[in-house]
Amino acid sequence: MIRTRTLRAAALAGALGLTLSLAACGGSDGSGKASGGDGSGPEGKTIAFVGYGNESPWGAAYNKTFTAALKDSGVKINDLTSMDAGTQIQNFNQAVSQKPDLIVALVLDTQAAVVPIQKAKQAGVPVLLVDGRPDPSVEKDVMAVVSDNPKLGEYAAQNIIEGLKAQGRDSGNVIVLMGTKSMLVTQDRMEGFDKVMATAPEYKVIEEQDTNWDPTLSGKVAQQLFAKHGCDGVQAAYGMADYMALPIVQAAKQAGCKVGGDDGLVVTGGNCFKAGIDSIRAGELYGTATEDPITIAKQSADYIERYFSGKNPPQSELVPEERVTAANLDELADQCSQA
Amino acid sequence: MTTTDDEPRGQVAVAMPGAPAARGWRPDPLGVLLLVVVVALVPVAVTTDRFLTLDNARAILAATAFVGITAVGATLVMIAGSAVSMAASQTATVVAMVFLSTQDLGLSVALLLSLLCGIAITAVQGVVIGYWEANPIVLTIAAGFAIGGTATWLSGGTTVYAEDDAYDVLNSTVLGLPVAVYVLLVVALVAEWVLRRTTPGRQMFLVGENRGAARAAGLPVGRVIGVAWAFFGLCIAITGVFLASFNTSATVSLGGTLTLDAIAAVLVGGTAITGGRGSALRTLGGAVLISVIANLLLIRGYSTGAQILVKGVLVLVVVVLVHLRSTRGHR
Repeated sequence: MIRTRTLRAAALAGALGLTLSLAACGGSDGSGKASGGDGSGPEGKTIAFVGYGNESPWGAAYNKTFTAALKDSGVKINDLTSMDAGTQIQNFNQAVSQKPDLIVALVLDTQAAVVPIQKAKQAGVPVLLVDGRPDPSVEKDVMAVVSDNPKLGEYAAQNIIEGLKAQGRDSGNVIVLMGTKSMLVTQDRMEGFDKVMATAPEYKVIEEQDTNWDPTLSGKVAQQLFAKHGCDGVQAAYGMADYMALPIVQAAKQAGCKVGGDDGLVVTGGNCFKAGIDSIRAGELYGTATEDPITIAKQSADYIERYFSGKNPPQSELVPEERVTAANLDELADQCSQA
Repeated sequence: MTTTDDEPRGQVAVAMPGAPAARGWRPDPLGVLLLVVVVALVPVAVTTDRFLTLDNARAILAATAFVGITAVGATLVMIAGSAVSMAASQTATVVAMVFLSTQDLGLSVALLLSLLCGIAITAVQGVVIGYWEANPIVLTIAAGFAIGGTATWLSGGTTVYAEDDAYDVLNSTVLGLPVAVYVLLVVALVAEWVLRRTTPGRQMFLVGENRGAARAAGLPVGRVIGVAWAFFGLCIAITGVFLASFNTSATVSLGGTLTLDAIAAVLVGGTAITGGRGSALRTLGGAVLISVIANLLLIRGYSTGAQILVKGVLVLVVVVLVHLRSTRGHR
């Protein structure tokens, strides 16, 4: 009896040790390179894809491109996408228990994803985070292909400063309608935005409102901000995504404020969409920035192929972003019109 | 349908909606609450810079329009005893997609198809609730999933754009107010007229007050509820059309918080969630009151989170008071 117990305890300890060894092998090796791919190539590998749901146009475009890009590689993708933050975390936990070769995650709630990432590490399942950066507490436990969100914020500020200077203004008030404030994506963009706005102190940010990536709420809040400050009290506006910037344009027009041109409101967006491109062409939106789903989907698919082929890609890769204005619209219109 | 305070629930009252109670005046807790809220708002409003301006009044009305139109429709449904619909956002989104994707057929045709789409989707739910007595909350939650899922499936999640920008006429303003505000006023007046002056409207109060008694009295309960839901569908469709025009494109998440915002406006307007009592004009007042409070908080620098919190507390207090009034009235 005692012998049986001893054997069981030894087996348990062995399993624990094996698990810990596998955990140590997965993900980063601390050298700044992703390791753990066995170098045999992507053929036959399984990916648990905990992405954004197709309810989001950005998510839909990403999912379609990502899946298509990996189609010929022989990777099997288990779709666990969702636009509900709670469901997504459940799906992440489920993915860990399935023990795939790789979990690819685009998380809605960075903080809530910490525990599943730790579980994945313990289970020896490597995780690739895409789009938003990971929580700092698990930064070294995952691989990442992330959008350059600080740069996107910088581009928005550059658009505003350039637009106001082009109008010959030596002062001006700016309103900002941001995405969900608690998200790192939003915080990073605001950090970049504030950094560049600080270089032009003549232009002052007078309002920052969290409109939760909601176009309808953005329009409603913009209507009230134009009433609060009047057309003369707001010279520029930043809607963190094009679908938030365009309701600002409509709200301004309905409030009787001039938009664009030599002396109208300077509006800039982000996450470029076809509607934003059309609005730039129409002279209403001054500019936007990329973070388009197609580019990041292709880059993350390429990262996965390099990882499975044993090419040890860097632990974290930034997706290059572009500023979009009327000056380079033709070059980027296609890239921005996929969602 | 207004009942006297001492009237048992099982009896169908004959007093007209809004008629004074037969046993003399007693203070209405809901009325007292709304009076207190309005009185409390006055000093805050006076001391808030730029609140009492024409521009701000216009902004408040503009911010009320989309939710208000849907809320007016929801009033009829709630009066007819069907509680609430949880599928308004999804329906408005589908209508917005239909409206934009059919712009190449011409504005009138696109408008007609969109309104028919909203009416059809919602009236079907009303018929199931009216004739087969399905639980409206359960049914509309299921319908919301089905409608949203279908929209995602058919659109592939991609944004829907219009081939033509003729819809932009719906974003225009008349006397400084967006067209949607005038439509809201017309819809509210029509709904109030239907409720007070037409047979189906009066029957909605009777059915909402006591469905069993209404059926026993020979009223066409299923048809009455179906008409209320069809009108609601029309209102949702109008909202969807304006949402599409305002945003110039439609995604699956376009409807946002429309469902809950509309329910909040109806409840703050004092319509009983159990049915049989309410008014479209009071719903309009509820929608405006919520917008005024949100606007005040925004102007005074409070976050959108604070606005949502205050709205939630206000709805909760009103619902409790309406419930207390109902139970006291039926004791």
